[in-house]
Amino acid sequence: MFQCKDVAEEANNYIDGDLPLRKRIGLFFHLVICSCCRNYLQQIRSTISTVSILRPKEKDNTNTQELAKKLHEINCRHH
Amino acid sequence: MKKNSPSTSKNEKALISKLVEGDQFAFEQVVSDYHNLMLSVSRAIVGEAFADEVVQDAWISAIKALPKFEGRSSLKTWLLHIVSNGAKTRIRRENRSLSLDDGWQTVSNDKFDSTGHRFDDVLSWEEATPEALLANDQLQIIIEETFQQLPSLQRATLTLYDMEGIKMDEVCNILDISSSNARVLLHRARTTLHQCIEKYQDK
Repeated sequence: MFQCKDVAEEANNYIDGDLPLRKRIGLFFHLVICSCCRNYLQQIRSTISTVSILRPKEKDNTNTQELAKKLHEINCRHH
Repeated sequence: MKKNSPSTSKNEKALISKLVEGDQFAFEQVVSDYHNLMLSVSRAIVGEAFADEVVQDAWISAIKALPKFEGRSSLKTWLLHIVSNGAKTRIRRENRSLSLDDGWQTVSNDKFDSTGHRFDDVLSWEEATPEALLANDQLQIIIEETFQQLPSLQRATLTLYDMEGIKMDEVCNILDISSSNARVLLHRARTTLHQCIEKYQDK
């Protein structure tokens, strides 16, 4: 029998469709009776969508224009 | 979420031709589009100390190999494999062992009773859509800061899978990790980001 704690642990695999059928059915039936876990799952989905749209980046101090210039020069010498 | 196309698109073919011809703007575009992503992969495999060097070497290898690029994958995937291979070669000597023990607690136990039920109700977020959440500048900054504080392998897994839409087997191949490890990393990254939004919503 699925509990709220199991849902918290398996929510991501459930969302990604990577849960074995038995667990998937168990989690689904828990969702039917538990509004907290339905809300939790919705929050995780919102988190994924929000981060995918925001697209946070690695911290990076590279001067990309300078790097592009350097690669351009290498390309001119090489080809 | 972006989904990568299985083959090289027309625009990408044109971009590659421009690169081979030596178009300065094309170089600026690819570096601007892919450098950060390549850095993410490099940091995840070799760590902070050698990451920049590995990416620079990968760029040079890619530029030299560009005329031979056959377009069987997207330019992005091709570049990510080059940086991944460079990073794997670099790390081979150092006996890399992947540690998932980064102080993570699977699930915060204070939220559940002894039978696994939640103590508190989980309420629906008032601003549930990404657009509504992102309308808040302060929350954007919090999400970005939280993302940057994640361990590098979590960041890279989340970036490649959730943001770049790269398939899981490809993500595992690029980052040189097993599928089960990738799932764990993705779960931790998403859960940490969820918690940061949740804390903000509770304020």
